[in-house]
Amino acid sequence: MNGSFSRLFASEWRKVRTTKMVWVLMGIAVIFSCMNVVALALVASGTIPGSPGALSGNLLLNPDYITTLLAQVGAAATFVLILGIIAMSGEYRHMTITSTYLSTPRRGRVLVAKMGLFAIFGAVTAVIVTAIVVVVAAVVLSPFEHAPITASAIGSVLLGAVIGFALDAIVGVSLGALIKSQIAAVILALVWILLIEALISLLLPAVSKWLPGGALNSAMDVAVRADPTGGITAADRLPAWGGALVLLGYAVVFAAIASRTTLRRDIT
Amino acid sequence: MPGVTLQVESLTKVFGHRRPVTAVDDLSFTVQPGRVTGFLGPNGSGKTTTLRCLLGLVSPTSGSALIGDSRYHELPDPTRAVGAALEASGFHPGRTARNHLRVVAAAAGLPDSRVDDVLETVGLTDAARRRVVEYSLGMRQRLALAAALLGQPDVLILDEPANGLDPEGIAWLRFFLRDQAASGCTVLVSSHVLSEVQQTVDDVVIISRGKLVHAGALSEIEATGRLVSLVRAPEAARLADVLRAAGDAHVTVDIGDDGALTVNGMTAEQVGHLAFVHNCELHELASQTQDLERLFLELTGGDA
Repeated sequence: MNGSFSRLFASEWRKVRTTKMVWVLMGIAVIFSCMNVVALALVASGTIPGSPGALSGNLLLNPDYITTLLAQVGAAATFVLILGIIAMSGEYRHMTITSTYLSTPRRGRVLVAKMGLFAIFGAVTAVIVTAIVVVVAAVVLSPFEHAPITASAIGSVLLGAVIGFALDAIVGVSLGALIKSQIAAVILALVWILLIEALISLLLPAVSKWLPGGALNSAMDVAVRADPTGGITAADRLPAWGGALVLLGYAVVFAAIASRTTLRRDIT
Repeated sequence: MPGVTLQVESLTKVFGHRRPVTAVDDLSFTVQPGRVTGFLGPNGSGKTTTLRCLLGLVSPTSGSALIGDSRYHELPDPTRAVGAALEASGFHPGRTARNHLRVVAAAAGLPDSRVDDVLETVGLTDAARRRVVEYSLGMRQRLALAAALLGQPDVLILDEPANGLDPEGIAWLRFFLRDQAASGCTVLVSSHVLSEVQQTVDDVVIISRGKLVHAGALSEIEATGRLVSLVRAPEAARLADVLRAAGDAHVTVDIGDDGALTVNGMTAEQVGHLAFVHNCELHELASQTQDLERLFLELTGGDA
């Protein structure tokens, strides 16, 4: 049947598998998270003169700080978002959208299938990044005296990352459908995350939890712990399920607007 | 297998809102199964837009473009119904040809064995595992054609398929399209050069500036093109008057510097008969085939 989801999933998965882009971005995401873990561990260990650890004693003895280290998994989220953006907007960039719509003229289904596949892909990425981060954390912590890496800390970070990355990938795909220009979509996402939302969270923390990045942090339930300086408090977060719903809402809204606008446009 | 007729009816496509451009203007024609139809017109005449309307990629402003009786997106299994090769740029450069086809095959629910079959058909088996970025224009054309053939469709819609092909490739394509039509396929091939498809097509649909100029069998056009006669006669001037008087408004008679007459719009038989009736001695009478390409340019109002 034209546009059956099993066929679409198979086709989309082949698209992912047969180009390097996804694996390169995944690799960068892993490296980025691990670099954060190493940096935070060294800074807290007290071995670097002038660092927080040297000034106030070995922070690694605090179990919360260990959770913060593990929560650096969340740093990979931005790359998962970009992955989703590139997966959809890349179809327009390389004009593979022509052959995609020729084999599946029901365009909405293509978008839904891509969102579904990348949700799974985001979740798998979360598992991989978490596993590697745990190993790297164990290795980098080994020379120092530190609080134990507990299964419950790993579990909560993993659960948060699986939900957060899955939703972030969906947001990325829907954003890529809405803004067909790959470069514009990626730049907009980065400027939003690094500049606009960072500013809003500083100036209007009560608002920021309703924004995509704030909702993602709530969904991953790591905002407080991921920010060891304590700038954000629990009051500035939504409950994890609320954050997940808000994020899903963004994806649905983007996808709905896209399906009424960009998705209907002529492919020329 | 009943053939599939393509039906374009009163198709109009206007692009843009602020400065609207009419790409296709009230265009109607049909494409019959079992024949190769050439879709001809100069660059920018609306051929690609029409094909993309047929394929559901562009939505008509008004009118319809149907595959059989359905719009493209209503087809239960589009890849098996229609094979389309549009411009040769729709490939991810980092993907191999084989993987590109496997992506399409998966979406269409076709077995991967079809991928190797069509690669073989278009002669890309040896290059199948190379990335498309390394492909020449001709190889991309072959890959686009391979994708069109994946579902063994009853309808082939090919946009300028001969572009970038070497002479050997063009000869192969000609044979291949004839073969497809012979097996009952509906084949629509666009081109901006009549001579390119002249030996391939049965029917022609000629458009210019989005409007239909001529639709019918190629033989009709060739017949129009052959209505040129060369005459030598001792009484050239008198014969010219006779012919002008006998012919209708479309007939023109020119006397060359050497005294030979070029008669446009009359067959040699008509000229010979008139000469006989009017007791006019003839020294030479011949039919000359007018250059089809020139006729095509006249029809489409091209300035090439």
